[in-house]
Amino acid sequence: MKPDTLMVKFIMKLSAWLNATCKDTGPLVSETMDHSLSFSKRWRMKFHLAICEACRQYVSQLKTLRALAERLGKEDAPADPRTKLSPEAKETIQQALKNFQ
Amino acid sequence: MDTAKSLDSNLWVEHYGDALYRYTLVRVKNPDSSQEIVQVTLLAALQSQKSFAGRSSEKSWLFGILKHKILDHFRSLKIRRTYELSTDDDTNPYENEFDEMGHFINPPKKWQIDPQHAAENEELVLALAKCLDGLSEKFRYIFVLKEVEGMKSEDICKEMAIQPTNLWVILHRARNQLKKCLEANDWHRKQ
Repeated sequence: MKPDTLMVKFIMKLSAWLNATCKDTGPLVSETMDHSLSFSKRWRMKFHLAICEACRQYVSQLKTLRALAERLGKEDAPADPRTKLSPEAKETIQQALKNFQ
Repeated sequence: MDTAKSLDSNLWVEHYGDALYRYTLVRVKNPDSSQEIVQVTLLAALQSQKSFAGRSSEKSWLFGILKHKILDHFRSLKIRRTYELSTDDDTNPYENEFDEMGHFINPPKKWQIDPQHAAENEELVLALAKCLDGLSEKFRYIFVLKEVEGMKSEDICKEMAIQPTNLWVILHRARNQLKKCLEANDWHRKQ
């Protein structure tokens, strides 16, 4: 293969990377939170994020979502004080414990 | 340490019942199932009182047992249905929000909050809890395992018997739905 053919191929590949759209980038942004992206996907996403404010906003929103979910998973997570076992439910459980003893 | 003195099962329901129930409800959604899981947890605790080494508090020990019981509940659901993505699953709410060039028609709104400080905002955490209830059962369980429980993707795929690519698609759609729900609450303008 001639060197100039190689160069054309390289430029075409590079331009395909640079042409990632917001629609392509959204799933990649989400996937980075779930597994390591391949080299090609990772750089495609990075190139797009470098030029797209809207998608950077999307990254920040998914990070916020993750932080909120993580907090919700803690034992001392904020909860609606009205959310509690009903007196009947407490009685049922208490009875089950007594019967077991 | 004398474990018999440090555990008082008669007070478990009164002292920890509501906390255990709330923790379960975030994950399981259904109040009846959550109540049942709390009961199973306390019975299991009663059975294994001897295993309480006194290294942790009584409360942490009970929560430890609860976590196992919640996972057992998820496993029992897997037996009854598949968690693979299917055509009748919820779609991506942003699917039709791109122009023909693949760019956003309405770019994501700016949230006036720094992700690093988001967790301090209790109102927002509660808003997310409400939004979670709007997801389908499948999406909710998978999102909860990944983001609320912090389970690794490989482990979720193994537990729920699903393909990694399906997991990523489900999580992407669930995140988009939650994002949209949070925005509908309008909080991002109130900050």
